[in-house]
Amino acid sequence: MTNTLHRQGTIESLRHDYVIFAHTAKGINREGAASKIREFMKICLKYHPVNMGDVKQGGMHRDGIAIEQLIANLEDGTVGAAAFTDLDTLHKVVEELIKVDLGICINISGLLDEVRECCRKAGITRHSAEHSLGIWGAKDRLPEREVMEFNTMCGHGMISFNLVRKMIEEVRLRRKTPKQAARMMAKCCECGAFNPARAEALLERMRERGFLYSER
Amino acid sequence: MDIDTTKCVGCGNCHIICTMGAISLDADGRSVVNQDECVECSTCYRVLKNEGYWVWFIRAIRKALSFFHLGHLADTDLCPTGALTPPELAWPRVLRAQFSNPTVVHPGTGVPGRGTDEIKSNDVTGRLRGGEAGLVVEIGRPGIGACFRDVEKVAMALAPLEPVFEPENPVTDLIADLETGRMKAEILNEKVLSAIIELKIGLEKVPAFLSVLEKIQHEIDTVISVGIASRCLPDGTIPHEEWVEKAGYALSPNGKTNLGMGRPLFREDKA
Repeated sequence: MTNTLHRQGTIESLRHDYVIFAHTAKGINREGAASKIREFMKICLKYHPVNMGDVKQGGMHRDGIAIEQLIANLEDGTVGAAAFTDLDTLHKVVEELIKVDLGICINISGLLDEVRECCRKAGITRHSAEHSLGIWGAKDRLPEREVMEFNTMCGHGMISFNLVRKMIEEVRLRRKTPKQAARMMAKCCECGAFNPARAEALLERMRERGFLYSER
Repeated sequence: MDIDTTKCVGCGNCHIICTMGAISLDADGRSVVNQDECVECSTCYRVLKNEGYWVWFIRAIRKALSFFHLGHLADTDLCPTGALTPPELAWPRVLRAQFSNPTVVHPGTGVPGRGTDEIKSNDVTGRLRGGEAGLVVEIGRPGIGACFRDVEKVAMALAPLEPVFEPENPVTDLIADLETGRMKAEILNEKVLSAIIELKIGLEKVPAFLSVLEKIQHEIDTVISVGIASRCLPDGTIPHEEWVEKAGYALSPNGKTNLGMGRPLFREDKA
């Protein structure tokens, strides 16, 4: 799952996009980890994430999913994730996780320098880091930059280019508000890594400054 | 995915949701799935809520509206008659679901999603140690998809450089010969949303591997998302940065950080 690694956008936009997730390793800290992942999710929930979920059950924006039930049903091998829009909140989550010392692997996707600073403030040094080297190959097959900014927020690829275009069009025609359109996209994300608040901000920005193909 | 044509009313919602754009209307106005292009991600089935209407009722309304050149703007997340039908998948087609549907747990690794661990558990596994880099080459992402034939081309280009193919990775499981990168013949035409080749190499080999990727990217008709990872130095510095810059490539400002909170923490000096 490199699903949060290749998120695209301007630095300013990415400043509002952090995903924290819990992972475990087979034969080391996976077995019996369900209660720890639940605890992780409860801590995240306390700080009002804009999205959260786990790949086995789906994200909190899916119809018919109650977040408390989702947390209660978490299993050992799953990956629990929560999306936040600012570093201060993320810092509070990290501090609380340090305090409870769950022993599961905690990762954050976001601007690397800012995450490093967040670790420093919390009194820890990052263990490992991963960069994206971007998209290679037949890039001529990809859609507009704006569409990519939405699509790459769900690295599992569940939010189709066609759905993004459709939602942009619905906002342009005022059939949907940016919030409704962002929520529709979030419904497709299975792991809770999609950031609907950032999607809404991108759609708001488009409404103010021009939609696809518009001059900027 | 299958669509029950006796139930489908041709509303087109599944066309929009389909991650591969593999659904279209046939001459009778019913949606059909291009089975070669469908990657069995089941997004349409999971997202589109079955409204459970009678088929004759919806068809009659649609017919009446079209007589007056009118249409109905239904919500995007509905299938009025529940026409989507997930099929039973047999080998090798089942690979499509394993690599494209994130709710399916990879049988080999026990990890859902794309089935890989990368650095996410490096604090407890010590998979990447000092002096090593992890390369993550995800073929088909974003949004285009890839056949294992494309994955094989990339694996065969990289194999002569003698990387360590990550053993706990679902693509490695499908490589028949790790020395050549050749994959199992029966899977080559299977299409997936994306598949990740995961390698471990010495940091000094980073430029050589990127140079090979530079060449092979022009020989496949899909996209590749490339990632690189390493174990940080005691002061938090990222060792691969220097080698990527030496090779002349730009690093993203964002990425993934393992905070080192897993227990028991892997100790390189005691391994």
